[in-house]
Amino acid sequence: MSNQSHDFYQEFEVFSRKSDTAPMQYQFSLLAPNHEIALVMAQENFMRRESVADIWVVKRSDIRKMTQEERETLKRLDNKDYRMTKGYGYLKKKWRKFEQKMLDEKEILSWGGGGKQ
Amino acid sequence: MGLIGMNQLTEEEKYEHFMKRIEAGEKIEADDWMPEEYRMALIKLISMHGISEIMGALPEKEWVPRAPSLRRKLGIMAKVQDEMGHGQLLLRVAEDLIKPLGKTREDLIQDLFSGRLKFHNVFHMPAPSWGDAGLIGWLVDGAAIITQTNMLNASYGPYARALKRICAEEVFHAQHGEAIIMALAEGSEQQREMLQDAINRWWESLLMFFGPDKAERTGSSKQDITIKYKIRTKTNEELRQDFFNKYIPRIKSLGLTVPDETMYYDEEQEKWIYQQPDWNKLKQIMKNQGPKSEERLKLRMTAYETNAWVREALGVKSKAM
Ligand SMILES: [Fe+2]
Ligand SMILES: [Fe+2]
Repeated sequence: MSNQSHDFYQEFEVFSRKSDTAPMQYQFSLLAPNHEIALVMAQENFMRRESVADIWVVKRSDIRKMTQEERETLKRLDNKDYRMTKGYGYLKKKWRKFEQKMLDEKEILSWGGGGKQ
Repeated sequence: MGLIGMNQLTEEEKYEHFMKRIEAGEKIEADDWMPEEYRMALIKLISMHGISEIMGALPEKEWVPRAPSLRRKLGIMAKVQDEMGHGQLLLRVAEDLIKPLGKTREDLIQDLFSGRLKFHNVFHMPAPSWGDAGLIGWLVDGAAIITQTNMLNASYGPYARALKRICAEEVFHAQHGEAIIMALAEGSEQQREMLQDAINRWWESLLMFFGPDKAERTGSSKQDITIKYKIRTKTNEELRQDFFNKYIPRIKSLGLTVPDETMYYDEEQEKWIYQQPDWNKLKQIMKNQGPKSEERLKLRMTAYETNAWVREALGVKSKAM
């Protein structure tokens, strides 16, 4: 039977977005004979309840994944304070002295005027 | 690993590096280096888990056409579909592990048919009443939730991620089961009897679900290897005790009993003392000689064969390209 041959099924990786503004999120992988069936399977397998705004299926062979060694080079030393807001947290106290509030993330991101995007 | 490539290491150094990774709580991925023993233990565990989800849908699906109301029918249909979905997820994880051995999903299915790949003991049992349908959701899924949540932090990344999805849905399964048994428990005398009968019928299978406390009982046990490699943390007996702690008080609160009059909680040892099930029955089931083994395997085989043309038809487009 042809569907028992080793190349009938292909591996697909599934991504989806919860809403129009949400980031694409990796879901899981599945086996399907082609992209169309992969899309149907993705919906059946991973989106039976939760709301979803868009689904992508990508053939695994088209993805360049990192190897174990490459992933291990990604480990960071905990020395990036100067790049992050937590390295500047002392300003909160300083501004208090001048009777001003620190412009923190919450404050700055509220300037768009619309509240929740 | 930094600048030294994995292929420059000796086998022992690779093993040491691997153990360091899992001890640090890192996740192992499908294409990472892993000891043979780890791969084999994972294949055995996950292929059995995956195929059990699929075989486990069979006793419950018998109740889809006979559910007592439309809402119950929708509920049990959704649950059965979830279990099939769990099977899909887990088989996918197993397939990536058997790929380097030159094997595919087809081999797993054939192994099921030939009896080399086992499915969980509880799914070899009959479910003759609506009480059984409720009990499966309440206590069989309950037992499964205890073992599955114990592996949420498994060292193997793809399995841990699959279990996260699965356990989220199991919460619905548990409540679906509770809803059925609650209606029976608060129902007529006949309904309460139906529920008590189901508990009596399933008790031994539920005890066996967690596996033997020591290998001598059935001749083999994989619990030491899975603990060593941080696939799970608790022993079979610890899981069984967790199950008792969660469910015995609930069973009693409904005025129901378990068919073991000698069972009691020993305050000093902080554990339940109970009668061992007849482990020979588990040995029989492991040979696919349980009450419903043959019938359910046959059903799976027939479905697989008669639906072959559907799978083939779905693949037509890819062949044309
Ligand atoms: Fe499940
Ligand atoms: Fe379940």
